Amino acid sequence: MPSRTDVYKYVWRLPLILWQGLFFVVPLLLMVAMSFWLVRNYRMTPDFIFDNWERMLTRGYVWNAYEVTFLRATVAAALASLIAFPASFALAFRVSETTRRWAIFFLIVPFFTSYLVRVYAWQVLLAESGPINAVLGFAGLGPFTMLNSGFGAMVGYMTLVLPLVVILQTFSLAAIDKNLIEAAANLGAGAAQRLFNVIIPAAKVGLILGAVFAFILSFGDFVSPFYLGGSKPPTLSILIIDTTKSGQQWPRAAVVAVMMIVTLFVVAFAAVGAAYGRRNG
Amino acid sequence: MRSGVLLRLYIAAVFVFVFAPIVTSMVFSVNSDRFPTVPLGHFTWDWYRTAFARPEVWTAIQNSLIVAACAATLSTLIGFATAYTDYRYGFRFKTAYLALALLPPTIPVVIMGLAMLAWLGRLGLSGTLTGIVIAHTVMAAPFAMAICRLRLNQMDAALEPAAWNLGATQWRAMRAVVIPFCAPALVSAFCLTAAVSFDEFIVAWFVSGLNKTVPVMILEILQGNVDPQINAIGTLVFLTSMTLVIAAQLLIIRRSST
Amino acid sequence: MSTSSFSLTRRGLLAGSASLVLSAPMINRGWAQDPTPINMLAWYGHAEPDMVAEFEAENNVKFIPKYYAGGDNMLALIAQSPVGTYDIILSDAEFVQQLNAAGYIEEMDASLFPFDDFWPQYQKFPGHWTDDQLWSVMVRFGLLGVSYNTDALTRDEAMSYNAFWNEKVKGKVGHFDWHLPSLGQISLLNGNNNPSPFDIDEAAWEAVMEKTLSLKPQVGGYFDYGGTFASLKNGEMLAMCGIGDWITGVLQKDGAPVASVIPEEGGIQWTESYSIGKGTTKHEIINKFIQYMLSPRGQVRSIQMAAYPGLSPTKSGWTAIQEANPAEAERSGLIEGHDQSPIKLLEEGRLFFRDIPQQQSLEDWNDFWSEYKTA
Repeated sequence: MPSRTDVYKYVWRLPLILWQGLFFVVPLLLMVAMSFWLVRNYRMTPDFIFDNWERMLTRGYVWNAYEVTFLRATVAAALASLIAFPASFALAFRVSETTRRWAIFFLIVPFFTSYLVRVYAWQVLLAESGPINAVLGFAGLGPFTMLNSGFGAMVGYMTLVLPLVVILQTFSLAAIDKNLIEAAANLGAGAAQRLFNVIIPAAKVGLILGAVFAFILSFGDFVSPFYLGGSKPPTLSILIIDTTKSGQQWPRAAVVAVMMIVTLFVVAFAAVGAAYGRRNG
Repeated sequence: MRSGVLLRLYIAAVFVFVFAPIVTSMVFSVNSDRFPTVPLGHFTWDWYRTAFARPEVWTAIQNSLIVAACAATLSTLIGFATAYTDYRYGFRFKTAYLALALLPPTIPVVIMGLAMLAWLGRLGLSGTLTGIVIAHTVMAAPFAMAICRLRLNQMDAALEPAAWNLGATQWRAMRAVVIPFCAPALVSAFCLTAAVSFDEFIVAWFVSGLNKTVPVMILEILQGNVDPQINAIGTLVFLTSMTLVIAAQLLIIRRSST
Repeated sequence: MSTSSFSLTRRGLLAGSASLVLSAPMINRGWAQDPTPINMLAWYGHAEPDMVAEFEAENNVKFIPKYYAGGDNMLALIAQSPVGTYDIILSDAEFVQQLNAAGYIEEMDASLFPFDDFWPQYQKFPGHWTDDQLWSVMVRFGLLGVSYNTDALTRDEAMSYNAFWNEKVKGKVGHFDWHLPSLGQISLLNGNNNPSPFDIDEAAWEAVMEKTLSLKPQVGGYFDYGGTFASLKNGEMLAMCGIGDWITGVLQKDGAPVASVIPEEGGIQWTESYSIGKGTTKHEIINKFIQYMLSPRGQVRSIQMAAYPGLSPTKSGWTAIQEANPAEAERSGLIEGHDQSPIKLLEEGRLFFRDIPQQQSLEDWNDFWSEYKTA
């Protein structure tokens, strides 16, 4: 007989397990299974063959795409964290509660405009004949080629992840007990010491979460590398779309998908470990 | 306070970056050029007229609202329950549990689309709004969980036990202490997950069939003959959802001040 | 009490969205006599008002489009939907055989369509017939050659695919991101025109790959449909491989300095055809719609389709556009004897139907394309 306490406990625990089990774990397992299926005459049939794996893992372009994707996502995560931090710091410590609330609110605003619409706008802004080059032209600079390059893709990644990173960082910074910082100051810690020995460790969870989300979203994004990066070179997501486009090769796309998932799981686990691992203070 | 001024300027620069594309799309939504460049063409409402004369645009807006409202409600409920479980309980397999809670956003949307289509197709839900709601809830719940969890971090660990000591049941303590404390986070979670759903287009594109949402429609225009209708639809949708969010925000402020 | 603030807010949000939905004009409209919905699977633009509004109004029907982004995407969408989801399917001609092999389309009644009015070259389009059974009806087509920015290249320079290697467009050559048209053009440049740039032996295929890789330093990006439009228009790309007037025609209307020509080495023809989706119950109205699209009225619309222009396979279509819009007829070569007239190009052996590779597998071509993109 479950006691009342048990009922209470499971009411909070089970929704996630049921929902994500049925609609997250099962579809992914299905996809892993799909990577062993056979395609004949544009139709998939369940099977257990390793051809798809062998084929994709021996292709140079798959590994090229992997390298590019991983590298870009790493840069995007680092860049987003660095760009966001001073802003989050100021929002957490230098402004009033009301200002912070409105700032957070305005950071949520972009989520209400389509990412696609924003990327389309960047296409216009970054074009060689676009406004940014026009302004630079007045200063006697440029024109610069910004579209269809790694730079273009990076602008897109920042558009996607920056607001989220600032929000997560701000939340965790604002949650730091101000007395802790004052105590450090009273003990003679300089600004840099306070930042690196007190503030950053205390806000660790949010900072890491922010960087990880930035990595993950950039790693999987296909819009920016496609519409701003000109598929030059293609990333893994573009490769997946390309592969599904070619003769219904969904099982091969599933192989690339599994490669991506494994990578991301490793990154995510490492990050969660780092964020929640030593929580004894 | 030189550093204060610098920091403020810095924040302003970040906001300029964040809002540049939004403002740009608004400007070009009333600009006559079919392919926008500088200098601007003349002012026109044509793109709005073209876009909103199409009943399918209205259907898409309706679909998006329904999906976002349902997915945000479900995600917020699941996210809060999960965050509370993490806050309150330690148990065997908790790592696995947390992994389950946090992993969905690690799956790239393209992959999610592939997997969801395969699975929902088997359940007979592909091409339905229910299918999109399910997929979006899977994707958005972790964000709700993250927001609620951060808020719970700020809660005094003695608060709940204090309520129990005063004779409150766990349910009552939840109602009287935890939920009120988390209310702002719940609203943020609802808004953010609604936004995640509202903006999501890859999975929706895979799963939606003929029941398109707004971003799917925009994706089709972007893949098709890029046309400033994108900006018109984008701007109107933006203004609509902003109105809703501002209303929500004002409600919180008014209620938290009473 | 702040306990209820969340639910109140949510209620507020829901109420707000509900009232917005209710105030949407679609609710007030159209309940009177429901038009029959027709589900169409097509490239972007085919169910837009400029194409179908007239037919919808005359027949009280309403097209509900699902737009795809390429033939394989189309096949996937059909495969994942219940039988009978799509009433009418517009596909690229080379995919008709696959639609048929997979059992996605129904046989059509040839007597219903004006094949006598077709130019002879198009009456029995490859892959659309098995013996005397008809599976698909060609409705429009277009030519792929060298598309270029007229400020960057002259027409003479563009009259050969070598234009893509021109120093003046270094880093500014775009590809439409699909292997068939781009590789087909390079195959033509290598002289593979007998019988077709898509029917080449291993040695010729090796040579095509090598030639293609040598273009890599010139390449500025790989684009879908929309990206191709935008990058040519904003000058980001100065020449584009794998496309033709279906892109530059739209841009010209907008005043962009771009053009397309069929170079000396020859051009490739894309072809779009209507098929009837398996399991539909609306045969009568679909046949009527296809007849409408093949009629001079429909062809004039198709030739000037807002999304992308296309040429007409019917003689009466040519006559109709010459009357309705002489400038457009002149521009697109829909005049007998015009130097870019598709019929003339076909007769000269300078135009080839886009096809899937005959001696290699589609996979080989696709694999190489992926390799080329990451090279």
